[in-house]
Amino acid sequence: MRNIESIWLLLLISSAAAGQTTPSPYAGSEACGTCHEDISNAFAKSPHHLVDLDKKRGWQGRACEACHGPAQKHTESLSPDDIRNPAKLTAAAADQICLSCHLNQPTHIGRLQSGHAKDQVSCTACHKVHANGPAGIVARKASAINELCRSCHVNVWAQFQKPFHHRLPEGVMSCVDCHNPHGGIRAAMLQIFAADEPGCFQCHGDKRGPFTFEHAPVRFEGCGTCHEPHGSANPRMLVRQEVRLLCLECHASLPTVRVSGVLGVVPPAFHDLRSPRFQNCTVCHQKIHGSYVDRDLLR
Amino acid sequence: MRGLLIVVFVAPILAQEQAAQQPAAPATADSKPSAPAPADSKPAESPVPSNDSWLTGSIDFGYRWRTGVAGSFDAYRSIVNLGSGPKLLGAEFTLTDPKHRAFDQIHVRAYDWGDDPYSSFHLDARKTKLYEFNSDYRDIAYFNFWPSYADPLLARGIVLDEQSFDTRRRFANFTLDLLPGNWFIPYLSYDRDSGSGNGATTFVSEGNEYPVPNQLHDQTNLYRGGVRFELRRFHVTLEQGGTTFKDDESVYQSPGSTNFGNVATRVFGQTLDLSSLLANYGIRGTSVFSRGLITASAASWLDLYGQFLYSQGDSDVHYQQAATGNLYLQSQILFYSSQQYLLSAAAKLPHTTASFGAEIRPLHRIRIVESWLTDRLHSAGSAASNQLLSGVGVSLPMTALLASSIATNYNQQEIDVFFDATSKLTLRGGYRYVWGDASDAILPPAGLAGAEQGKLRRNVGLGAVTFRPSHKLSITGDAEVGSSGGAYFRTSLYDYQKVRGQARYAATASLSLSADFTVLNNHNPLPGVGYDYLAHQESLSVLWSPAGGKRWDFEGSYSRSDLRSDIGYFSPQDLAMQTSRYRDNSHSATALFNLNLPRVSRVSPKLTAGGSFFISSGSRPSSYYQPIAKLWLPLSKSLNWFTEWQYYGYGEAFYLYEGFRTHLVTTGLRLTR
Repeated sequence: MRNIESIWLLLLISSAAAGQTTPSPYAGSEACGTCHEDISNAFAKSPHHLVDLDKKRGWQGRACEACHGPAQKHTESLSPDDIRNPAKLTAAAADQICLSCHLNQPTHIGRLQSGHAKDQVSCTACHKVHANGPAGIVARKASAINELCRSCHVNVWAQFQKPFHHRLPEGVMSCVDCHNPHGGIRAAMLQIFAADEPGCFQCHGDKRGPFTFEHAPVRFEGCGTCHEPHGSANPRMLVRQEVRLLCLECHASLPTVRVSGVLGVVPPAFHDLRSPRFQNCTVCHQKIHGSYVDRDLLR
Repeated sequence: MRGLLIVVFVAPILAQEQAAQQPAAPATADSKPSAPAPADSKPAESPVPSNDSWLTGSIDFGYRWRTGVAGSFDAYRSIVNLGSGPKLLGAEFTLTDPKHRAFDQIHVRAYDWGDDPYSSFHLDARKTKLYEFNSDYRDIAYFNFWPSYADPLLARGIVLDEQSFDTRRRFANFTLDLLPGNWFIPYLSYDRDSGSGNGATTFVSEGNEYPVPNQLHDQTNLYRGGVRFELRRFHVTLEQGGTTFKDDESVYQSPGSTNFGNVATRVFGQTLDLSSLLANYGIRGTSVFSRGLITASAASWLDLYGQFLYSQGDSDVHYQQAATGNLYLQSQILFYSSQQYLLSAAAKLPHTTASFGAEIRPLHRIRIVESWLTDRLHSAGSAASNQLLSGVGVSLPMTALLASSIATNYNQQEIDVFFDATSKLTLRGGYRYVWGDASDAILPPAGLAGAEQGKLRRNVGLGAVTFRPSHKLSITGDAEVGSSGGAYFRTSLYDYQKVRGQARYAATASLSLSADFTVLNNHNPLPGVGYDYLAHQESLSVLWSPAGGKRWDFEGSYSRSDLRSDIGYFSPQDLAMQTSRYRDNSHSATALFNLNLPRVSRVSPKLTAGGSFFISSGSRPSSYYQPIAKLWLPLSKSLNWFTEWQYYGYGEAFYLYEGFRTHLVTTGLRLTR
């Protein structure tokens, strides 16, 4: 019996000693909020506040330290050197912090093909981790999204100043309507529609088909074959100033081209292009995206 | 009891040990603590200010005047299309339930209501751990009447775009995620896209085409639902969905009316005319699709990604057409006065996509990303038609049975190696191989088109550098060099070089600069192609905000681009060699200057001025100016008065009749809570 009491006593002492010798390196979110009150207040209304409340995630009561690392030393020294600042890490290292929770989420499925990941654009370039409100973690309003994107993609935004453009400058569309900033299986990180179709069909459902008679470039190389999606000086956002030139660049009527194995080169049609009637091919071949009715895309 | 005591006393020791073993940083997913005991077991209290209002937001409303449009009103409507009248310019508000009963927060946004060409409404609602609901609605007017685009009758003095339209497209989207933040998240979504309106198109008959009005109406519904399993080391999404589609376009001309396209010039002694037409496209479509996505943190040094996507679309067509007039069948030199045409058709489009990738981190400074993608699309269609041509002494029934197919198999494999040379310098090198085949056929191979096959083979070298020597400076550059052994089309990428550079520099706390450039050079030397394409664009942007924009700030950008494209073709009428030359040399700029004006009798007005311009020369020289100025007067803490002036000016050197100029003045109030 005495032995048992001794063991209990020993356990008590060791417990106390352990508490003294290995202090927790974590300070807790409340301690952080003491100095960083504005950030703490904003964070409390941010979706990330869930980390502070949820036991399962392992960071209950110390969400700040989930990203910034143990803060006890920092609370004592008040030195920025004693706390991890993700903004000062490399993009890949900063992303690893985010991905420790967010890797296994569907938005990141295409991350490997993402130009952002390849160019070392970190999550925090777009996402404000502490922010709250309607545009909390990331911009939600179309105009705010566009402003965020154009802060880097100045070139692209310039194309939207052309007269024929998708309505992004007007604020009714945003870049993410067409592009998935997290990446995707399609070139230029294009959004997808109904599993694996181009995101263009989200709005242009009448061009989706399947058509009885398809126009091959639409399926093989997409809308960008003929259209400048960001903006163009040509009506219908075409890549050429006249429709006939756009058509003839592929339908070149060159007998040698067949040898080269290029698609879409038809034999001469004998249309006299000097006649106004034949200067815009789509006047007659009006179902240029594909026809349900006519093999020559005439109706 | 003893056991309980042991647990009570031993547990703190183990807990302390666990805390001591906590990783300093959750560098990877698998380094997350399993169940850490926090330093202070009491959850941090939310520092939400108790005096938060349950409703916050703002609403902008007012009236817009448009001066008369000088020049082409149709061109104005095609590009700008803003009108006069009372407007709800914008409303944004957040509703917060402090007791978190049915929702935590609801965010509502609505813009540009009141007969504007684009209106939108967005509503988000969420309750932590229970649901997230997002809805979006947009109504966009599409007007397009552009005579220079398609007016074969211009020489006869008829100004008409034979491919014009005046339609509205409406999009609605509703998404509901249940149990967000849980490991098991079911979700449902419904999208609806519809378009309706009127337009002009052509009725094509052999020997002539006739401009006719048409009515457009199409609608796509998309339903999808699925589950997401979000576990510590892997994530799986399984989704099933489907779409329905209908297109009820009709083309018509009232009996007895005169068509602009009637041909007065005699063909074999007769004129050609269309006196009535009714054509209905009865198109119905469905599709089913499935998606399976997986991500896994297989090890601390290995992440895996994969997805499988499958869709199959079907369409059924019942087209009917009745036309009367004096029409002509060129192949048989036959004139007829009535045509009846019936067609039934069907098409299927199975489409399978799969991708797989891995990110491997063998060393601290090296990451290897390998990805593989295959995309297989095979479409097949068939059509059976009956046509009856009748006239004086003529009754000619014609039947046709056609089958069509296109198929493409696209594959891509890519490997990228990232090397963090220093904490400020990252290098990337990689290689991509793209290959595939495609075919396009219509059987029986009558007319001009037959069966074709193409191959795609492309080797691409990749390289990039990211240099961030300080917080103030960031430089990124990447390059792709591709070489092809086959391409599907004459204008496809073949032997190409693509270079992109971007730099950002924060010169001071109030001044930041960014610049970027892109170059794409593509060349296809194959006999009969000879394609040369060179495009480059350079941009510079400035953000200057002295003293944090207390007095004024300026944001501006300038961009210059140049595009040259040359490719040969044979002109069909004489088989003479011609070159399609396209040139587009453009300058564009945007600027916005904000000035906080001196305080006048407790009012601090703010002036914003700027806008954008675009000037281009080359194949379609044009200019487009959009200056803007806006004056804000804060009348009280929650009330602002604003007045905005906008100008739109568009001009084309070759098509002067399509230019326009107009002024818009909008004035209104902003109420803020």
